[in-house]
Amino acid sequence: MTFYREAVYRPLGDLYLTVEFGDELNLLLNFRVIALDTALRATAIPGVTETIPTNRSLGIVYDPFVITRERLVSQLKEIEQRMGEIKELPSRHITIPIWYNDSWSQECAKAHGAPNNLEYMAEINHTSVGDVIRAHAATEWWVSAVGFQPACYQALPLDPAFSVSAPKYPRPRKWTPERILCQAGKLTSFYPVRSPGGYQLLGRTPIELYDPKQQNRVFRDGPVLPRVSDRHTYVPIDEATYWQIRRQYEAGAYEYQIREGSYRLQDYLDKLAVHNRHRVPQAPGSV
Amino acid sequence: MVFEVLDGGPQSTIQDVGRPGYLATGMPPSGAADRFALGVGNLLVGNDPGERYLVGRRPGSAGLEVLLSGLKLRVLAETVIAITGANLTAMLDDSPLPMWQTVRVRPGNTVAFRRPRAGARAYIAVAGGIDVPAFASSRATNVRAFVGGIDGRAIKKGDVITTLAPGRALGHLEGRRLRDSLVPRFDGRWRVRVVLGPQDDLFLEESIGTFLSYGWRLSPTSDRMGCRFVGPKLDFKPRPAYLVEQAGADPSNIVDDTIPVGGIQVPSGLEPIVLHVDGPSLGGYAKIATVISADLGQVGQMRPGEIANFEAVSTNEAVEALRKLEDSISEASLVRS
Repeated sequence: MTFYREAVYRPLGDLYLTVEFGDELNLLLNFRVIALDTALRATAIPGVTETIPTNRSLGIVYDPFVITRERLVSQLKEIEQRMGEIKELPSRHITIPIWYNDSWSQECAKAHGAPNNLEYMAEINHTSVGDVIRAHAATEWWVSAVGFQPACYQALPLDPAFSVSAPKYPRPRKWTPERILCQAGKLTSFYPVRSPGGYQLLGRTPIELYDPKQQNRVFRDGPVLPRVSDRHTYVPIDEATYWQIRRQYEAGAYEYQIREGSYRLQDYLDKLAVHNRHRVPQAPGSV
Repeated sequence: MVFEVLDGGPQSTIQDVGRPGYLATGMPPSGAADRFALGVGNLLVGNDPGERYLVGRRPGSAGLEVLLSGLKLRVLAETVIAITGANLTAMLDDSPLPMWQTVRVRPGNTVAFRRPRAGARAYIAVAGGIDVPAFASSRATNVRAFVGGIDGRAIKKGDVITTLAPGRALGHLEGRRLRDSLVPRFDGRWRVRVVLGPQDDLFLEESIGTFLSYGWRLSPTSDRMGCRFVGPKLDFKPRPAYLVEQAGADPSNIVDDTIPVGGIQVPSGLEPIVLHVDGPSLGGYAKIATVISADLGQVGQMRPGEIANFEAVSTNEAVEALRKLEDSISEASLVRS
């Protein structure tokens, strides 16, 4: 069972608990997590201080001097029961320029004794580097979780036909340059700052998604740009364009391409239905 | 201007109780690794000790967290300080600086930490609290996220540290100390209480037993982000095949979920890592247990090579332990000598 019949409540010490809906990477699970998060925020249970959406579960921080764990769990179960289907979620669309197969990614792979990551992905997916890039840039990506470190995020493809898969490194890298876009399984992620990691390196963006100095006005409300339920489109750029945008960014002249809006979950379900009609049925138990 | 930094030591950072409220952006709360020690220090010098870790809304006054030995400060203005936490052989010029009590310091004095004797992190609380710009309502430094403290980094030689105006006249602060019965004894054997879960059900029962009975040695690869423990391998139950694709090929892989502060992940069943105040909020390794919030400071005070025993308690016991710890950070715990 990858999609639990009933949510599982797990304790995480004395200040957190987690409501877990399943144990797979599936947008439908993430929509349920976001639905519970939205309903919980609307209810504002006294003692709940933070919520942390992940792909498949909602982390909840609470003050045990204000509300006991038992009482919180019973209130959450009530909310779960009465929350209706969410049809539409507020969702910004952000366009992010990427120099795919950039020189830093290539150098980083080499320094860790790994093959060129895009060539490797092309090989195991029986396709070409060009097609891997085209497929990655063709789908919109849904930000399903933000975490690990500030502005690091995970995103799932909104096109169910997206089929390029990437294994994690067998041994994690000691370092990855900052602003690198990466992929493992069908999950896209991002290294906002230089850090260790094991995802395959796709490319680098000239713009910051994390700015602790909050210089650009998109960081007015906080240093972290990505939010759960954002949609991303990655636009392939070449080296010259990378540097042109980077110089613009550094001069404070870069205009982030952000569109406020919403996303109808039915759009995804429709695409999923079409996709499922055109492929071999999955094993029972999966959704 | 109260102090000039003559030597920053291996890592001295400005900390308060921390920066809750941003976990969903991936920003860890940071804050003092030993909340009790900084809280008592702040109380002694008449500062706000702040509200509870992670769920409080007031981060309290900022002090210095000093890792091991090496930090050296020159006093530039008369003030009252209190040294708490680890015994790192704090010296005022050539005399030992008494701990867990207020001390008046004067321009020209030097405060230095010579040699770690017990515990890993000492705190310097100073009347008024350290004055640096707050970031997201806290002054706590996170060197990996480049926020808080001075330019988001550890302090270094040449830095000048200033304080806010003290809440009380310095004369009123003299002679205050923590009751002897409340002064922690760091003897190098650590009992760390945990609540099992969230993924204890993925481990073999024998391995849970091993985890709770073995004396785990702290590895030198430990910091404010995570403390790694060396000991026997822990094993996992067989798992369904779909998890290989969904979570990863290693039996310790899970589909990423929330890591609490204090969460203990065990990558590949080797070397459990207690994620601490600067730790990640999201990750893909099974977590066997969570250190209770009252005992996070114990882990923060361990030195590499020292031994911890993990003891399972219930969530309710963990809450009671937290109540006891927080109640002790109060004026009633102080006496005048």
